[in-house]
Amino acid sequence: MQRISTTVRLNRSVLQFDDAANARLERYLTESASLLEGDPDPQEILGDLEQAVADQCTRRMRAGQSVVTLAELEPALGEIGSVQAPGNWTASPHPPHEATPRVLQQVSEGAVISGVCLGLARYFRLDVTLLRVISVLLLLGTGGAMVLVYLGLMLLMPYAPLVPGGTPIRWLPAKCRAFMEFLRVKLGVDRQGKMAATPPRVQ
Amino acid sequence: MAAESKLAPIRKGLLEFLVLKIVGAKSIYVPEILRSLAGTEFTTQEGTLYPLLSKLRREDLVQYEWKESDAGPPRKYYRLTDAGRTQLAELDEYWNLINRTIANFGH
Repeated sequence: MQRISTTVRLNRSVLQFDDAANARLERYLTESASLLEGDPDPQEILGDLEQAVADQCTRRMRAGQSVVTLAELEPALGEIGSVQAPGNWTASPHPPHEATPRVLQQVSEGAVISGVCLGLARYFRLDVTLLRVISVLLLLGTGGAMVLVYLGLMLLMPYAPLVPGGTPIRWLPAKCRAFMEFLRVKLGVDRQGKMAATPPRVQ
Repeated sequence: MAAESKLAPIRKGLLEFLVLKIVGAKSIYVPEILRSLAGTEFTTQEGTLYPLLSKLRREDLVQYEWKESDAGPPRKYYRLTDAGRTQLAELDEYWNLINRTIANFGH
């Protein structure tokens, strides 16, 4: 039996492949080229892959072995994997995050009292636990004056709309929300309406 | 895992960010990048990484230079360009922002 080998130039390396390995290599490279269709620079990537194949095969060859067989090529190709075009995840650009308007409002879902801290945390992009700790420290440090600040914020900050089917609201935030909404109607300050994007009224 | 179909696109989207982070840490060649990702959720292969690096190079975020190696042919060492460094900082910031937002929603 005679094993015919082919000399293959893979980017910067030159290796000998037997017939079966040579056919497999050609199949892999053709497949890669077709997967890169539409890529603006397929030659560079194919060159890199060729070099990877050469390096992987060389690493797997025994000392004194001069011809690459399927025994080296198959695991080498398995490690390199088939070409994945990065286009898949660049095709749908995300809207820039600045587009979302930042609104200072109380958040009932996950709130402890009324959602002031949670709302402030979202607005200033801070950790809510940190804000709660600061609030408690201020409460102790100011001898209770912080309660007034909290009540003031409760009155001034509108409530964020509830997420349908979202996290259930605990008892206290729910009561606070209901009470503040009742109070606002009584006082005639409908902050919710002011903050919400209502169409301008025709005079 | 039922959630896997939702996790896969997240990983896919984050790979690019992570590669910028790795290349940003030091001048590095592909097998080394693969090694540092191996065993993480982002384990990947040359078949994925070379097309991605080629895209990043076209976007002028990374560049490479040839360096001689002790064994075998010269290797391509990648590093960030100034534009790449700027974008990495932006991505880093946005990533922290998202993390805080998610954390603030409670359970």
